[in-house]
Amino acid sequence: MADLPSQPAQEVARIPQQDEAELVARAVAGERAAFGVLVERYAGVARRVARAVLGNPEDADDAAQDAMLSALVKLGQYDARRPFGPWLLRIVANAATDRRRRRSVRRVEPLDVGLTAGGPRPDTTAQRRALSERLRQALAQLPERRRMAVVLFDVEGYSHAEIAPILGIPEGTVRSEVFHARRRLRVLLADWKEGG
Amino acid sequence: MKDPLPFDHRADPALGKALREALDPGDAGAFTARVMALAGQVRVPSWDAVLARWARTGVAAAVVVSLAAGYLVGRATAGPPAAVRPTVSDVLIAPPAHPGEVEVVLASVIGNN
Repeated sequence: MADLPSQPAQEVARIPQQDEAELVARAVAGERAAFGVLVERYAGVARRVARAVLGNPEDADDAAQDAMLSALVKLGQYDARRPFGPWLLRIVANAATDRRRRRSVRRVEPLDVGLTAGGPRPDTTAQRRALSERLRQALAQLPERRRMAVVLFDVEGYSHAEIAPILGIPEGTVRSEVFHARRRLRVLLADWKEGG
Repeated sequence: MKDPLPFDHRADPALGKALREALDPGDAGAFTARVMALAGQVRVPSWDAVLARWARTGVAAAVVVSLAAGYLVGRATAGPPAAVRPTVSDVLIAPPAHPGEVEVVLASVIGNN
């Protein structure tokens, strides 16, 4: 079980709700394997969302782990008529936000001019790594909510309507956050756009 | 990456792929194993426990409500407080409650005489 990869993005958001409700019921009944399936399915998205908030991968994993365990304790409160993913991701988002508030404030490193103002196309592994670093830095400059919105929308495949309850904001605000995040990222990654 | 439109409801695959790579946490198996190891130490409230907690709350609420209801019903059905029976000296010393009546009685007695 532990060696299985986490569910690919976009697919997680489309897992049949009935299936998950049954898994939750079994987990609440004490079947840890059922909870394990849920953890496997959502580990990837939970860790990515936490990392979008926290930046640091270790902190993100701690937050995602806390959220998973918190969800386990609260499974009895889950409404099986609603999709499981948004319910869990709301816990993840809150855990990451709380951790970010608790931890000592880290200085946001200014973007490297060389990274933002152009550079080689990401044809090689090193270049792709540089691109990832550039994206992480670009994300770090966005407001927290905007970061989560664009990751949930463009990476994880959730709709605006599904993201709204996760972030606790109206659907129109989600739309706006995604739009502004994309615009900002597009500006910062203009050189990559030309290459990609 | 396409130019985003304000009301574009479609995900941007290129941006999504790049972001996914940038946020890739790696080693999903180790993370899952770590969570599951800790999950074994977590006490999960079962349905019975949840119901029991609600039942305890319900019983406590019922007790409070029944006490309040008993108090209100008792107040509504109870008569006025029992009057203290006056002693002979109280009656003799106390001024008449209705002095006019006494005068009428005296006048009628005197009038008859």
